[in-house]
Amino acid sequence: MNKIQKKIWLLSTIVLVIMVAIWIALTYYNNKTQDQYNNILQRYLSMNEVTSSSQQIITDLNNYILNPTSDNLEQLGLSKKRILRAKDNVYELRNVENDFALTNYINLINSFIETTDRLLLFHAENETEASAKEFTEATRISNYISEMTLTLIGTEMKTYDRFYYGIIEQSVEMEKLGMWMLLLITLLLLLISYWFSLSITKPVHQLTQAANELSKGRFDLEVKVETNDEIAFLAKTFDRMRININKLILEIKHKAQLEQELQQNKILLQESQFRSLQSQINPHFLFNTLNTISKKAYLEGSEETSDLLVNVAGLLRYNLKQMDRSVTLRDEVVVLKQYMDIQKARFTDRLKLYMKIDESCLNVKIPALTLQPIIENAVIHAIEPRENGGTIWVRILDERDRITIEIEDDGMGMSEDKINQILNEQVVQTEGHSTGIGFSNVVKRLRLWYRYEEVIDIESTSGKGTKVILRIQMIRE
Amino acid sequence: MRKTGIFILCLLFIILLIFTAISAEKVFRFNWELPKAINQKEPQYRLVLITQDIDTPFWDKVGYAAQEQAKKEGVSLEVWGSYDNNKEDFLENLEIAIYSKVDGIIIQGLDTTKFKDLIKVKASFYGVPVITVVNDVPMSESLRRTYVGSDQYKAGRLIAGQLVSDMGSIGNVILMSDRIREYFQEQRLRGIQDVLKKYPNIQILNAETSESSEQIISTTQDMLNRMPDVDAIVAVNASIAGTMIQEISKRSQLERYHIYSFDDGPESLLLLEQGKLDAVIQQSPEMMGKLSVKLMTEWLNGETLPLDSSGYLTDIQILKAVDVQ
Repeated sequence: MNKIQKKIWLLSTIVLVIMVAIWIALTYYNNKTQDQYNNILQRYLSMNEVTSSSQQIITDLNNYILNPTSDNLEQLGLSKKRILRAKDNVYELRNVENDFALTNYINLINSFIETTDRLLLFHAENETEASAKEFTEATRISNYISEMTLTLIGTEMKTYDRFYYGIIEQSVEMEKLGMWMLLLITLLLLLISYWFSLSITKPVHQLTQAANELSKGRFDLEVKVETNDEIAFLAKTFDRMRININKLILEIKHKAQLEQELQQNKILLQESQFRSLQSQINPHFLFNTLNTISKKAYLEGSEETSDLLVNVAGLLRYNLKQMDRSVTLRDEVVVLKQYMDIQKARFTDRLKLYMKIDESCLNVKIPALTLQPIIENAVIHAIEPRENGGTIWVRILDERDRITIEIEDDGMGMSEDKINQILNEQVVQTEGHSTGIGFSNVVKRLRLWYRYEEVIDIESTSGKGTKVILRIQMIRE
Repeated sequence: MRKTGIFILCLLFIILLIFTAISAEKVFRFNWELPKAINQKEPQYRLVLITQDIDTPFWDKVGYAAQEQAKKEGVSLEVWGSYDNNKEDFLENLEIAIYSKVDGIIIQGLDTTKFKDLIKVKASFYGVPVITVVNDVPMSESLRRTYVGSDQYKAGRLIAGQLVSDMGSIGNVILMSDRIREYFQEQRLRGIQDVLKKYPNIQILNAETSESSEQIISTTQDMLNRMPDVDAIVAVNASIAGTMIQEISKRSQLERYHIYSFDDGPESLLLLEQGKLDAVIQQSPEMMGKLSVKLMTEWLNGETLPLDSSGYLTDIQILKAVDVQ
């Protein structure tokens, strides 16, 4: 999670590692060259030590011969130890190239020591002449040693000149290496720093842009940062916030819409209430007027007219009741008869009605105004257009577990399309002058009421007539 | 654009990396080729070949052959020498060799007391065997192990024979020799004289000179004055020949004379090629170098005990100017 911190650590570590690597390399190089320098210097010093110690011995010998005290003897012993040590050191310097010369050199030193030993022996035995001779020899050998030292150092120089040239070349190369390394590290650090800063600022930039978009009100753009550091976390939370805001806004919008709809509905409701009040006034007035006219007709002796008016008024009253109440089949049949009386008065002989009603079924519940629209339909299509009129059969049959209501006419029938339209509850264009409630409305209501599709069926033969059949499942109470 | 940038940066990075790597490789290689440390347990015999005339064709051959033989025998050998017959340096080299306790000294004999003393006393004291090469010193005076080189007496006879056959049995002959009567020179002289003795009509003039060129010039002039009708000249010591011939050519035509010498002088072969010398005694320097090292090694290994003290003689032959030209 501490991605940015990690990155800073990484950068510092890389810098540190580079520095340490350079330091180690340089130290290694320095040590190596220093060792070589020391080695070579040591060689020269060792050889020189032989010369100086041999000369020291000569001096000590001279002192001792002139003044043979124990101090001088001791001094001589020390010098001898010194030259022996020097000899051992020189022995270590042997290599393939100087083996011969160095062996000679060492033997020369041995000869020198032997000569001095002999000298001391002769001196002790007071053989002056012999000791003087040995002293001369010792001096000569000492000179040879000095000469040979110089020769050896010269040879060493020659042997090691490759090394010296190597060192010079390497120090030149070292400078070049320093330059290259500086360039390389500069480039490397620049690149790393660039990448590093980019990796921090890029998500910040993305986030800034996203915030900008949000502040402008665009809530649909996803806030996306492709890293996995703190900024990405921030971006994720930011995105969650955006989604929440988005949701809230949508909710508010939804609510507003709902409210608006509610408002509209209220207005509509008021309007319809107003309409309904309006429409209630007229029928009542009409209804009262009809009753008055009926009484007037009766008083004037026109009984038939009076009955007709009563029927119209009854029908009107039935219609004015609310539609979605349930009534008994008996009520429906009464209304049917009233309607048919009115129609008989209109069509006189042209209309023939045959009713066959099983009285036992009349208590069954049925939605209001179902039979009347159907028979109205029959009148309109089977009677009205025909000059000779027609016949309508109404049968209500008890078939034990159900009641079958058939309304049949002998009109010209219905087309297949129309039947399908009606049964599929599509709105059929009504023609003529119905009482207002269409066939399809009836089908809908019946199906809703009984909750099965086959409650209504239409059989029709073109030119012979139409038969509408209602099958009502019996639920006897 | 961005891709190009990245590509260029990567390229730059790689280039820098390569240069840095190359540089670092050079700096940290430490390839100094120092001489290898010695890891040979078994000590080799250390032999020294010491001459008075290093860098002369004759001695180069001796030295080269000796080195070859030493390599073959598995002993280490160094050739020490002084230039221009520098006796002091020569003796100093010998002394250093003795003090250095080398295992064997192969040395050009020098018939001086100091040289003989060094070999007889000091070399024996330090137990260093000495073989003389090319020039001998008498065994009795030097205690050398053996001698490897030409039979100088025979060489003298050979050159005298050549002289007689060139000149005929009548004539005057000058024998130029070094004042320091070295053993080998005496031998040569003896050989020459032994041959010429048989011809009573041949007059011999013995001349002695020291080694400095002024001395040689004056001696030569003196000789020619004393024997103006000389027919043949023998430079018994080959190192005299160069200066002598130069002086003679100043006075008269060289073709008049029969001049002979030996091949162990610094200019001998050159003079022969130029036709200034009529003939030289050609010795076998390669054989000498080879044989001396071989004998020394064998002696050190105890294979040939004792060495033949009368010496191991190598081939000699007459080399005439007409053959070389």
